[in-house]
Amino acid sequence: MGCSSSLPDRSSGQLAGLNSENGGVSDAKNLRVKLVLLGDSGVGKSCIVLRFVRGQFDPTSKVTVGASFLSQTIALQDSTTVKFEIWDTAGQERYAALAPLYYRGAAVAVVVYDITSPESFAKAQYWVKELQKHGNPDIVMALVGNKADLNEKREVPVQDGIDYAEKNGMFFIETSAKTADNINQLFEEIAKRLPRPASS
Amino acid sequence: MEAAPSSSSTSTSTSSGGSVTFYDFLDRMRNPASLDLVRSIKSFIVSFSFYTPNPDNDGKKVQDFYLSMEAAIMEHPLWAAATFEELDSAMEGLEKYVMTKLFSRTFASVPEDAKIDREVSEKICLLQTFLKPEHLDIPAVLHNEASWLLAEKELQKINTFKAPREKLLCIMNCCRVINNLLLNASMSENHALAGLDDFLPVLIYVTIKANPPQLHSNLKFIQLYRRQAKLVSEAAYYFTNLVSAKTFIVDLNGKSLSMDEIKFEESMQAARLTQTNRATQIETSPTLQGQTDPTPTRMHDKEKDTSGGSNYPYMDAEAGELTVGDVERLLSLYKDVVTKYTSLYKVVRHLSISKTETPVPHSEGTSFLLTQPEGTNTKIDHQKGN
Repeated sequence: MGCSSSLPDRSSGQLAGLNSENGGVSDAKNLRVKLVLLGDSGVGKSCIVLRFVRGQFDPTSKVTVGASFLSQTIALQDSTTVKFEIWDTAGQERYAALAPLYYRGAAVAVVVYDITSPESFAKAQYWVKELQKHGNPDIVMALVGNKADLNEKREVPVQDGIDYAEKNGMFFIETSAKTADNINQLFEEIAKRLPRPASS
Repeated sequence: MEAAPSSSSTSTSTSSGGSVTFYDFLDRMRNPASLDLVRSIKSFIVSFSFYTPNPDNDGKKVQDFYLSMEAAIMEHPLWAAATFEELDSAMEGLEKYVMTKLFSRTFASVPEDAKIDREVSEKICLLQTFLKPEHLDIPAVLHNEASWLLAEKELQKINTFKAPREKLLCIMNCCRVINNLLLNASMSENHALAGLDDFLPVLIYVTIKANPPQLHSNLKFIQLYRRQAKLVSEAAYYFTNLVSAKTFIVDLNGKSLSMDEIKFEESMQAARLTQTNRATQIETSPTLQGQTDPTPTRMHDKEKDTSGGSNYPYMDAEAGELTVGDVERLLSLYKDVVTKYTSLYKVVRHLSISKTETPVPHSEGTSFLLTQPEGTNTKIDHQKGN
């Protein structure tokens, strides 16, 4: 499935014209992907997205600024574009059981923890396991250690993140939503890893 | 009667304007050139009456029909030079038309759904008696009764519409009100935006305060019958959030809230008792004078209407439009009417007021009549219509 999971099965080439603007159709040059954000509350999920969406300057893209749903298109070097539709989830424990409603059909999952909080790292591992069990089998997963600017308070070693990500076939990066460090790199790297629909 | 829900211009996927679109669709369908399309639509609608309701199958049938009609419209001479927007409008018109015709057959069409609706609504009634924003840890900066009320009203409008798109718009509008509240708080109060951690608790609280009618059936109806190409992106996200709020409420127990578990159970029990008492009171004293509230078990039910017609919302209804879910309300209205009638009769018994009328039921389906949510009937008729 992967990113093609957002393609309605029934859409034939003939119908693509009507669906391409609002519908779930991507073509080889312009991907549209659902990205779900998971992680404890307070790790900075929303800040990462806000930084990504506001930091990009693209006069042609109409950025939808909402509080918990945001979309942003990035252009890659091979002249393709990827439109991320970013679904935030609620981090508090009482909403954990609702997560499957949000990650169903997602092509990308970004699992975020706070490098100053071992509890949030444990929670991130819980989400990775849950996605492996119940998520889309082709989902592209990224593990993100946020708040890298607080290095003096670090409690989760970089190597722990790298090791865990590697063991689980994930992309790993440490970011700082505060300084914008590695924010664009995170999304560009995800874009590169997306499976492409067969080019027409 | 009702205007289509307004959609803000910033909306990406739900904004093609309401009634104008629809009248344009009806106009084109009256054109003799579209006779073939009208025939397909007609026969599709008729075909539904041959089978007993099966929501999942019905949803698939309708979605397949949308797609085949989409293909037919794209190739149709009437739309030969149509832009993307015009084709999309035609499809929106088609969805509204088909689902308005099939509404009574597809909305809350199985007893299980009516049962879930009742259970959700009853649980919300209990929660309304004691739930406070603090129990969901809604930060004080987001306490805004005016915004909440506005969001509730948007949600409560959901049953005024029959078309899936318009029902979905009610949800979108409710969510927009909440988003505005969050954005304002973030700007004026320096509240750091916390994404869904802020949004979801407010939506849950608003949903409980609103107790939107037939919440489960409305969500299921949108899921099954909104064109799939349109239930994506932002619309899908906010739709999912209301599904999420409903799920949370259904599963809600002493552990779900920031509240002592024993206190939660006590509050629920107290609320149940109060409700049972109220119900018994009404049953044992049916001649109670001055009983004005026709739906005493619905704590949050609707604004007080002054016009007689809106106190008796089924006056314009036809037998085919009623669902099992309406029985409770109908019975309650019936009792109310009988009570009032009896009192009135005692007072003015010297007058002859026993005039009766036998209404002539209209049989639906014999003519290709369209019942629009706006309340006007439009006939698509190739002999007369052009």
